[in-house]
Amino acid sequence: MTDTIDLIDKLLSDLKKSGGVEACAAVSRDGLLIKSSMQKEQFAESFAAMSATMLGAAETASTELGKGVPNRVIVESTQGRLIAVGAGPSALLVVIVSPDVGLGLILLELDKSAKILKELLE
Amino acid sequence: MIETGIPKLDEFLGGGIPNGKTLVYYIQPGVEGEIFGLQTIHSSLKKGGTGLFVVSSTTPDIIKGQFREFGWDIHLFQDRFLFVDAYNSLIGAPSNEKYVVSKPDNIEAFSKTIIDAMKELPPSTIVFGSLSTIIDLCGEKETLEAVRTWNKMANLYDHVLVYNFTAWPYSEETLKAIKEDMFNAVISVGGISERVIFGQYFGIFKADWTKEIKKSMLFRVLRPGGIKLYIPKILVTGPFDSGKSTFVHALSTRAISVDRMGTTIALDHGHIDYKGFSADIFGTPGQERFDPIIKLLSGESMGVFLIVDSTNPTDFVRAKQMLEITKSYGLPYVLIANKQDLAGALAPEEIRKQFNLPHDIPIVPVVAKDKKGVFEAFEVLIDKITGGL
Repeated sequence: MTDTIDLIDKLLSDLKKSGGVEACAAVSRDGLLIKSSMQKEQFAESFAAMSATMLGAAETASTELGKGVPNRVIVESTQGRLIAVGAGPSALLVVIVSPDVGLGLILLELDKSAKILKELLE
Repeated sequence: MIETGIPKLDEFLGGGIPNGKTLVYYIQPGVEGEIFGLQTIHSSLKKGGTGLFVVSSTTPDIIKGQFREFGWDIHLFQDRFLFVDAYNSLIGAPSNEKYVVSKPDNIEAFSKTIIDAMKELPPSTIVFGSLSTIIDLCGEKETLEAVRTWNKMANLYDHVLVYNFTAWPYSEETLKAIKEDMFNAVISVGGISERVIFGQYFGIFKADWTKEIKKSMLFRVLRPGGIKLYIPKILVTGPFDSGKSTFVHALSTRAISVDRMGTTIALDHGHIDYKGFSADIFGTPGQERFDPIIKLLSGESMGVFLIVDSTNPTDFVRAKQMLEITKSYGLPYVLIANKQDLAGALAPEEIRKQFNLPHDIPIVPVVAKDKKGVFEAFEVLIDKITGGL
């Protein structure tokens, strides 16, 4: 039990080591922070709640339109990017990426990590 | 009687720990438990008592540093806050403390220092920073024997004895003796994982001077602040324009909202630190077109504020429906009769009648925009969640 959270912690710190990732968090589908790796911890809870809402809303919108479950939500601004991917029925994974790196590798890492997170929570 | 200073625990223990009694914090390895003894001695010092802290796994200076980290001013207690230093001599360092154990791995020497201190001091709170370390140094049987003597002495001299004990894999005999026989009270401190909530809890395993209350509370350790009871999610829901966002903001220490054109479209999220509690608050949108989001966000709540506009009884049907959407039936909830300042606001009992609300559901009159009644409402809900007394 305590082991699971340690493994999630490790997963996040590994993910954070990939180039360009500034912060990341594992969040429950209903918006609770499971674990985060970010500078300003006190904002992590709000960040978690907002990310879960965003992904949830995107998934609802997309499935309602008959377009299936989206692979991810990417929010782009000049100062950075925020990417949220589902990790099974109970969680999602969110990363904040600096604006000047390519996304290809990060998306690959993210999908891989999301799969592991899903398995950890099963 | 001294207070443990742990929120709610004193209430559960019938006020605190009576003089002459002993208590052990029985801590699962890997959990931040040693702060319990620390917070207890701080609480006793703050009330003007004398405190003796027995350090065996670290130096007195580090303990003083921890006090500072938690934001507790140590200078107020100067001569009432004493140490038994059973660490520095282990590493060959000198000690400035009044009581020093010269051979911490020799239980006789250890015990003599403790007993001398107990005889000299007025009725005090004596906290053992780590009983497990003493056991590791002196042996299981030998240490337990000494602890039995100390506990008897405490009873004789009216001291309160508090031990931090980390339940490493000692012999079953030792663990059982500590958990069941040797102390007047046992507070278990452990970790849980329930679906996606990974947390730490404490609960009363035993307390022989009061009616036992088998109730577990989630907690968090804040620096500064110390142990706070933690409630991961409280839901705020209710019909459109009943004042949910205003309520979340009135209650929260800090809060953010996603609203556009005057209505919440995603959620309000707030965090509150109040009277030893730390809680996160989720406010849902009210309009029906956002129902999918409401469903999405309402899982894992521990309690609900259902907000209604007291001037608008036609909305009560929708309010009830929202309890259903959020799957809140069965959860503790409090009805918030908001906008009590407006003309035509119904009195709480009138709302109960029109709402057909059972008598055990509290209704709290509130003016959220003036922060009137919001903290009272919080206390009422917390009492419901924690099974308050």
